[in-house]
Amino acid sequence: MNNDLIIEGLTKKFASANSVAISNINLTVKEGSLVTLLGPSGCGKSTTLNCVAGLEEPTEGKIRVGDFVMSDISKGLLLPPEQRQLGMVFQSYALWPHMKVFDNVAFSLKLQKVKGDELRQRVMDSLDLVGLADLSNRYPFQLSGGQQQRVALARAVVTRPRLLLLDEPLSNLDAKIREQARVWVRELQQRVGITTIYVTHDQSEAFAMSDMIAVINKGILLQFAPPEELYSHPATQFVAEFIGATSFLKGVVAAMDGRKITVRVANGDILKLTDYSGKSWSVNQNVVVAIRSERVEMAGSKAEGNILNAGVKNSTYLGSKWQHVVDTGSGTLKVETTDTVTSDRMSLYLPPDSILLFPEEK
Amino acid sequence: MTSTQLPKPRFSWDRVVQWSMVVLTITLVVFPAWPIVYQSFLAKPLYDKERNFTFSNYAKMLGNDKFWHILGYTAAFAIAATALALFIGILLAVLINRTNLPMRRLYSNFVTIPYYVSPLVLAFAWMEMYGPQGFGTILVRTLKLPTWQLYSFWGIVIVAAMYYVPNTFLYATSSLALADPQLESAARIGGATPFKTILNVTVPLLRPAILYSALLTLVSALELLSIPLVLGNGVGIDTLSTYIYVLGVVGVSKDYGAIAVVAIFVVLLVTVLVYLQGKLTALERRFVTVGGKATRPKLLDLGKLKYVVSAIIGLYILLGVILPLACIVLESFVPFLSPFANPFKMLTLENYQGIFSSPAYRQSVTNSIYISIFAAGIGILFMALASLTAYRSFFKGRNVVKYMALYPRAFPGIIVGIGFLWAFLLVPGIGSLRNTLIAMSIAFIMRYLPLGFSAVSPAVMQVSDELDRAARVGGATWLGTVRHILLPILRPALLSGYIILAISFLKEYAVALFLFSEGSRVIGTTMIELWKQGGAEPVAALSTIQMFITAFLIFGSTKLLGVKLHE
Repeated sequence: MNNDLIIEGLTKKFASANSVAISNINLTVKEGSLVTLLGPSGCGKSTTLNCVAGLEEPTEGKIRVGDFVMSDISKGLLLPPEQRQLGMVFQSYALWPHMKVFDNVAFSLKLQKVKGDELRQRVMDSLDLVGLADLSNRYPFQLSGGQQQRVALARAVVTRPRLLLLDEPLSNLDAKIREQARVWVRELQQRVGITTIYVTHDQSEAFAMSDMIAVINKGILLQFAPPEELYSHPATQFVAEFIGATSFLKGVVAAMDGRKITVRVANGDILKLTDYSGKSWSVNQNVVVAIRSERVEMAGSKAEGNILNAGVKNSTYLGSKWQHVVDTGSGTLKVETTDTVTSDRMSLYLPPDSILLFPEEK
Repeated sequence: MTSTQLPKPRFSWDRVVQWSMVVLTITLVVFPAWPIVYQSFLAKPLYDKERNFTFSNYAKMLGNDKFWHILGYTAAFAIAATALALFIGILLAVLINRTNLPMRRLYSNFVTIPYYVSPLVLAFAWMEMYGPQGFGTILVRTLKLPTWQLYSFWGIVIVAAMYYVPNTFLYATSSLALADPQLESAARIGGATPFKTILNVTVPLLRPAILYSALLTLVSALELLSIPLVLGNGVGIDTLSTYIYVLGVVGVSKDYGAIAVVAIFVVLLVTVLVYLQGKLTALERRFVTVGGKATRPKLLDLGKLKYVVSAIIGLYILLGVILPLACIVLESFVPFLSPFANPFKMLTLENYQGIFSSPAYRQSVTNSIYISIFAAGIGILFMALASLTAYRSFFKGRNVVKYMALYPRAFPGIIVGIGFLWAFLLVPGIGSLRNTLIAMSIAFIMRYLPLGFSAVSPAVMQVSDELDRAARVGGATWLGTVRHILLPILRPALLSGYIILAISFLKEYAVALFLFSEGSRVIGTTMIELWKQGGAEPVAALSTIQMFITAFLIFGSTKLLGVKLHE
């Protein structure tokens, strides 16, 4: 039996002014995989998650896990959250302050009439899973943020739910703990083998943890792809911008030879690149080239190819590297490199596969 | 897709509870309101078989000069009392919270005492102390000093203001506590003296609190019955409330139509004010400058003046609050109170024995206690469920609950009593409930629904909604979430709401005035009965009993249970 989560045509409109929170979202989450909904705040990723949880009512669309249908608006079907058999971890962890750790984890099991030794065993197993079995007698306020987050996770998986929903669960942790938590949340998810939706606005978190990433902006699913593909072949200018430090220069297609395209940027400089996007281009089309800061190199002795001469506007030392903001004459470019600059001009080399091409957005 | 499992529509207790909140809040308003509207169009009393529709009640009342005179008098009284209460309350709040006044902590406790005392008791206390035959008045007269007339417009205004000062004081105080101290610091850094800072920054920041508590006090003063009744009745002073009371209880031929018209008029007037107040609260949110967890700003140094100011405030508390209340307590322990006879030589428990040996009077005390304990308990649970339906459910009717729960504020206590009385007379089959504590409890709960609802709701809204979302996703129904998560977390708020409700029920007299009968007397109605018979000492004894129970509730809950009754 296939237990993929399938979201079809999910749409949520708000009553006020017909504004749309999410529009026609289609997603398939393979059983046992972790999918991240990534986007800026207010993009609709939490609304999507809440529709899956049953905490918000979609206007249209269908949500099912295998053939367990949780909502199908066209058929007037909408299960309340408690009948969906899910586990969820919230941004604030939402541990009930009046219950001990044990009782927090045991809550759902008790509602399922699990009793006695079995109850105890399953709660402790779940707490073991997050390494907190010896804190079962504490109250939530006696735990650190990281511990609370782990209790919330234990509580979410103790019933062996159909889906695990994680709503920015790491955003309240300190930067250092957050990176550790990332690793062990992913490990736990893989060990339990539970189908998981993870919501975050932090692209590095998304890359570190996901099997697949869905980038959402303004309620629209822009791209749904594995992390590597998302990075190397972002579908839109927004995706390219959102998942990494990227600069954009405007230009015109000067010549084409299959996938090899020549672009002339504003001040007349020529950039050659290889396009893998599969989009069709035409000569004289207005385009935008996206250049990843970390892929830009110092030209050094190179004199041929994509060389841009630029004036340095400012330089910021980031610790492990420098970020130089330079003016190419065609627009501003961010460059991340370990090299310091000695003069106010620099010569930059852009490898052909470091440049991405997008049609100019109106 | 192979097989779509459509779950069978289930019977849901969630819906039952949520629907009953809608039905109950609507019923509690409509049930007492419609007989009044109905009566206002009837030529004869509504229990009369003959029911002729007429506009003559309106015509008669609106063409009656006395009515317009009373309306003007009531408005003048309410505005004067509100203005005085605001002035004293805000001045005290700023002085006590923002200057280095000696004894400020002590004062801030004493200033709020009238908040917990029934206005009826306060009126009696002032009467015993400063009335024409009052202890203080006679004392001053024997010293050949000029005296005053308490039974006058300004006398009533001053006593009413005394009663409302705790309200204005508490609003201003909590608003001062919320104000970001950095705003004051910024003024100081900018070169303002402490005094200028208070005048130009602190007090203007209070503006929303001032407006809000002004309207709150105005609404309450418009419908105030006890103080004008006790102090003005003998000299022919009437306000709208005492007019209704006189028309319905004292008058020889009771004019039901007239009562109904005046009642409707008052409700409409108060509705407008309550509506304005609601608008202001919405505005107020834009004003509020939350964020004040930082250290408090330095207190303004009043210099040598601080002793003078402190003495004046001390004198105010002594003369306005402590002496009248002490006087009434003392009076309850003597056969008569007079400056010419040393009261401590004739201490007696006779007044109390008198109360407790009369079954009717004894019953009014036990009834008040029963209502305080049980009706307040049921009431706060109902109000909590209403608040949770309004603020913590996806239920479509939640907004109805939100508005209906607050609407009884537009109904003065005496009108609530009339409405319930008539409704019980009119609806067949429930007439037998009319004289019971059940009817009384329902009317009390209706009257204090807004109070309890707004005492619980802020706490409800403070609980992160992720907590109930977590429970829902974890498999709990809405009702399960309410029972296992929300009510336990809200327990401290429910407890303080319960105590506030219990104290209010204990103090309440206006609702009961029309509704009570043999068997459903409460302390307030018995006090008024005894007062009409001229029994000052038994009234003093009942007042003392009421204050004692209230004090017991306050100390028990704040000291033993750690309840916070106000911010």
